[in-house]
Amino acid sequence: MHSNHQHQPEPSVMKKCKCFFDAFNSRMSFWSQCVFILIFALILFGPITNLLIWTVAETWYFPNALPSQWGMKYWYQVFNPYSDVSGSLLTSIFIAVLTVIVCLLVSVPAGYALSKHSMPFRVFWMLLFLIPQAFPNLTVYMNIARLFYDVGLNGTIVGVVIVHSVHGLMFSVWICVAAFASTDPMLERASRNLGAGPIYTFFHIVLPQAAPGIIASCIFVFLESLDEFTGTFFVGAPDITTLPLLLYTASMEGNYQIASITALILLVPSILFMLLINRFMKPEMLAKIGK
Amino acid sequence: MTRLNIENLNAGYGNKQILNDISLTVEQGEMIALLGPSGCGKTTLLNALCGFVPVSGGKIKVGNRDITTLPAENRNITMVFQSYALWPHMTVAQNVGYGLKVQKVAREEIEERVHELLSIVRLAGLANDKVTTLSGGQRQRVALARALAIRPDVLVLDEPLSNLDAKVRLNVRHEIKALQKQLGFTSLIVTHDQEEALVMADRIAVLNKGQIEQLGRPEEIYQSPKTPFVANFMGAENQIVWTPELESSILTGNSEALFVSRPTNLTANQQVFFRSENVTLITNTSRFDNDNSVLSLRGHVMQSAFFGNNYRISVQCGEHIIQADHTCDLPANTPVLLSVPAHALHVYDIETSFKSNAYATIQTSTSFQTI
Repeated sequence: MHSNHQHQPEPSVMKKCKCFFDAFNSRMSFWSQCVFILIFALILFGPITNLLIWTVAETWYFPNALPSQWGMKYWYQVFNPYSDVSGSLLTSIFIAVLTVIVCLLVSVPAGYALSKHSMPFRVFWMLLFLIPQAFPNLTVYMNIARLFYDVGLNGTIVGVVIVHSVHGLMFSVWICVAAFASTDPMLERASRNLGAGPIYTFFHIVLPQAAPGIIASCIFVFLESLDEFTGTFFVGAPDITTLPLLLYTASMEGNYQIASITALILLVPSILFMLLINRFMKPEMLAKIGK
Repeated sequence: MTRLNIENLNAGYGNKQILNDISLTVEQGEMIALLGPSGCGKTTLLNALCGFVPVSGGKIKVGNRDITTLPAENRNITMVFQSYALWPHMTVAQNVGYGLKVQKVAREEIEERVHELLSIVRLAGLANDKVTTLSGGQRQRVALARALAIRPDVLVLDEPLSNLDAKVRLNVRHEIKALQKQLGFTSLIVTHDQEEALVMADRIAVLNKGQIEQLGRPEEIYQSPKTPFVANFMGAENQIVWTPELESSILTGNSEALFVSRPTNLTANQQVFFRSENVTLITNTSRFDNDNSVLSLRGHVMQSAFFGNNYRISVQCGEHIIQADHTCDLPANTPVLLSVPAHALHVYDIETSFKSNAYATIQTSTSFQTI
């Protein structure tokens, strides 16, 4: 009887205990979740917060936790039409647009050809576009710079565009191959069947089908070009100043305000385009990458 | 629309020969069905006609024009694709008018023709809809309108009904047939469904392993199939190989014998095919007429399946399993007597060397039926 009682506590007691433990557990998991999220947020947003503070700090010396003088002085400086920033922003965008055009001109025909499995040495061509990425960036760009120096391309927009294109082609070719491979070959057949030649078919049927993928690849190339530093540094500097180069010089000079504001400016197109890519990249297409 | 002439056509992919010496003439305004199991080359034949598969030998002529080596866009043979292959980035009207736009026809004329075709296929109100919003049956009709818009010499349809559900399929089947009669286009339709072929086609070509086994009117193909393959494919799934042993067993006249009688046209080393609907089943096994105009045999019921208008009874007769249609359900192991009139039997000689092969066919069909 006694032992029986021991083994079976009164139901109400048991219920209370259970409630308490449940509440404790859920509270524990709530707090542990909070801590986890906080740490995560700090890791993610800590540097960004620092950067944001720097953009509105006019004076901020070492021992102080926060700037001693706040203000928008450096914003005016950056957006002054005669400042280095607006000039290099324009250069950056100009170079990025040219890079996108060069990459499109190569990767659309290449992507279409490589998406057909009948293409000879298909894998070889695909890997060819990866080779510049296989070596350490620095050595590749130093050698390119040396070559360009011989032909007078150093310090020219053309030189920088070529360097950016080599880098961008990897993205654009691989994504374009996937985009063309995910189009239905029957749609092409149907067009030929109704009397359209191969070129008409390509522009009216195949290209519209692959367009979302091609647009996504353009965005990648644009963003990569906008953020590209190493190649621009070796080939373009000091004649060509893009935003990342300006950022570098500003940081090196200890001008953290200008560097932070430039970084923020660079963030804008990235976020905008990432949202766009999210819309254009279809899972069916992603599944075709590298196939 | 003109006649299509295929002469000794050979085609295939790479080293794999798929079509062997196909010769076929489709007359002006005629619809021929290419019927065969999957992998028999029927779709390859259509692709060869449209220029999607290179031809390794033979000729294709439309009227007097030799199109054997022309590129796909210059053939004026249009196809209704199995997957419809409608362009999702275009509206219904743009899809239908595409062929005319390619030919640089004036815009008003295109609009007029598109309108005309959409009313023919009863899609008049949907001209500006995206094709992706349409149902399967509607897509099918857009594909048909698109293929007819440029007034092709020949229209080919690649299993046009296989993606539709059963009820829509019956409707579209009649619609296509009616359209074909109304507009009189020369056409080839590929199907693996014998009923579809019987209903729609003026003539049927039964294909097997890249060759035409038989070409003829639906009635001919159905009632007098020329080869065992055609007989089997057209629904005569009961097969008996008439071996010398069976021939001798029937002569004994034993009342316990499996085979009671055979028609005079059946002799040893022949095989016989017949349809389950031609089998008369009686449960009174003692009463039979020993005449020479019927094939009759004893057996017992294995299982029966309800088919709506009748029951299909599987009857075990020795090593054979015979399917017979019957008006009522029968319990398993009921002894029955089956008889098939001589006119319903399709009898073919077999080469002795093929005999083991024929037995193998029996074995496989038996195992299939028990499933």
